[in-house]
Amino acid sequence: MKRPVLKAATVVAVAALGLAACSGGEADTSGAGVDDDTPVTIDFTWWGNDDRAERYNEALELFSEQYPNITVNGTFAAFPDYWTQRSTEAAGRNLPDVMQFDLSYLREFNQSGQLLDLQELLDDGTIDTSGFDPTLLEAGVLDGKTIGIPTSTNTLGMFYNPELLEQTGTEFPDAETYTFDEYNDFIADVAAAGEQTADGYGIYGAGDYTGTFWFFIQWLLQNGVTPFEEDGTLGFEEADVVEFLNLTADLREAGATYPVERGVALKPLGGFTANESASEMSWDNFLAGYVADSGTETIEITQIPSVEPGEKALFLKPSMLYSIGANTEAAAASATLVNFLLTDPEVGRIFGTSKGVPADADQRAAVETEEGSVDAKVIAYEEAVAEQVTETTPIPVKGFGTIEAKWLELGENLGYGTITPEQFAEEWFAEADLAIM
Amino acid sequence: MRRRRAAETRAGYAFLSPWLVGFFLLTAGPMLASLYLAFTNYNLFNAPEWVGLDNFVRLFQDPNYIQAWKVTGTYVLLGTPLKLISALAVAMLLNNSRRGQGFYRSAFYAPSLIGASVSIAIVWKAMFIDNGIVDQVGQVLGLPAGGWVGDPSRTMPMLVLLTVWQFGAPMVIFLAGLKQVPTELYEAASVDGAGPVRKFVKITLPMLSPVLFFNLLLETIHAFQIFASAFIISSGTGGPARSTLFYTLYLYFRGFRDFQMGYASAMAWILVLVVGAISFVLFRTQNRWVHYSGEGK
Repeated sequence: MKRPVLKAATVVAVAALGLAACSGGEADTSGAGVDDDTPVTIDFTWWGNDDRAERYNEALELFSEQYPNITVNGTFAAFPDYWTQRSTEAAGRNLPDVMQFDLSYLREFNQSGQLLDLQELLDDGTIDTSGFDPTLLEAGVLDGKTIGIPTSTNTLGMFYNPELLEQTGTEFPDAETYTFDEYNDFIADVAAAGEQTADGYGIYGAGDYTGTFWFFIQWLLQNGVTPFEEDGTLGFEEADVVEFLNLTADLREAGATYPVERGVALKPLGGFTANESASEMSWDNFLAGYVADSGTETIEITQIPSVEPGEKALFLKPSMLYSIGANTEAAAASATLVNFLLTDPEVGRIFGTSKGVPADADQRAAVETEEGSVDAKVIAYEEAVAEQVTETTPIPVKGFGTIEAKWLELGENLGYGTITPEQFAEEWFAEADLAIM
Repeated sequence: MRRRRAAETRAGYAFLSPWLVGFFLLTAGPMLASLYLAFTNYNLFNAPEWVGLDNFVRLFQDPNYIQAWKVTGTYVLLGTPLKLISALAVAMLLNNSRRGQGFYRSAFYAPSLIGASVSIAIVWKAMFIDNGIVDQVGQVLGLPAGGWVGDPSRTMPMLVLLTVWQFGAPMVIFLAGLKQVPTELYEAASVDGAGPVRKFVKITLPMLSPVLFFNLLLETIHAFQIFASAFIISSGTGGPARSTLFYTLYLYFRGFRDFQMGYASAMAWILVLVVGAISFVLFRTQNRWVHYSGEGK
């Protein structure tokens, strides 16, 4: 991927945000694929929480005002259930017309032509991607077919809760230069403060971050390792996995990370959203969800720790894509919906940065960036780390969803102490060998 | 005469046809398909690819598979006897005529009517969660705090309690069985000076043994199939620390999360064989302890 182009686009977008918050509203139906007014019903499905559902409902209401002949049945599920539902539908060739899609499952669903090639709809202007960065659009192209269009981009960031820092009398390390070791010291300090919430739960610095696959990928990149090769094989070994898991070995042993028992009991929330954990690494667009789930307005976003001071090796990732099922009987209407969700400025305003920073220039411009708001923080963050975005998006291998889920499951076992890092690595590789084949 | 019989046969099949169609299309067909898939690699998206016995070999090298058997086995061995004992105990209490008997019978039966539902599993989870009602009562009684849901050593007792609580169905069958025991037997035993324990061991249990056998068989098979409650309580993960990784749950993960339908089919067939073998063994032991009235032995 051509990095400077994308970086320039981000800078332009950020600049444009300062100018415009006024282009929303009027409908632009030019190039809409549905010329007649024949009533048509399409299914649309996404994953996410209540916050996202509310935003989608608002957007779909707008859509039905502009296209009264198209009825959209919207449904949503949590991320893991979402893929179970889609895979079952795929086996029966019965996918929804329009779907929110994830990079990690694109390859599997593309295998037998489950997803519609959108090229024709792009060519005839039903879907208008003129406001998109071309390099970003490439993420949705597999085997020469355009099967998904990115809605927005995200990158990893570190969230922290200033109220908890104050309560525990701790200070967050210097975001520019802190290493994983310094971050670990911070986690230990918060636990050592021994403070409690009003409900009597202990306050911790963070959960065990080694239990999330994407952080491992980020750590590999910081170490100069390419996690996935072009041919779909892995670029790392068991020893790398063990080394990464051992970053937090001392904290786990001392019980200084957020207790896994409590985390399990809190699902689908977590220690950070329950205001019992002071920091959490995650995708930057999660901020809106975090604020909504935790009820804490003051959550801040800052840079992730690194192996060498200042070498963050960040990458921009399409946070999600829209795809159309190949079995759809209403391709034009489906594409009209996709285009509306991707490019309508009003939709950009509704979602803000909750799906990531919008990929379409008009939508980016429509995001309201009131001082101190969630969207302003996310955009300020991406602006601040623009120089640190030095890596291309890791190629999602086939079976990515499986190996990611396996990592999470083993991470939980590691937290409970039922397996060692060595067993973790061995089991994960056994699974990866089968999933990636 | 012959013509009439043929007509009757035709009519018989005509009446049976809805069931037959359902059986072949919805049961036998998918079963055969899954038997075939058990010997293939099938990811739902591409055509199945024949791999012979690979799936079965892989199963026994898979730590999660071994764990799934441990979890399921523990559940069957703990849950089934406890459930049957509770069912029988309550059935005996409800067997005597007393006021409000109908109410008590309904009240005890109700949980098993709604038992398999998702909502009950959610309520159960809410009760046992950190700071839930069970946790609060437990703390008053001096048990350690922290809830049962996140503690791998307490999730199994929690699920066993859930199934024991749903003893209504076997209880009703026990009640029916108890009604069949002739009261003369108890009267005669009383005359001979037998106490309640002796009456229970020498009269109730033998007379009830066919019903007991039936319930045991049914509940054992039922226990192997636990899914919904485990799925809900572990938030669909089989956790914490694989402590609720039940056989059917793991099968589901393999099939629908990892898209390994061949592997999942192989698991399903092993479960069929194991449950079949256990049923067979139970039937074989019948002669030793199940007494049918009117048997001239």
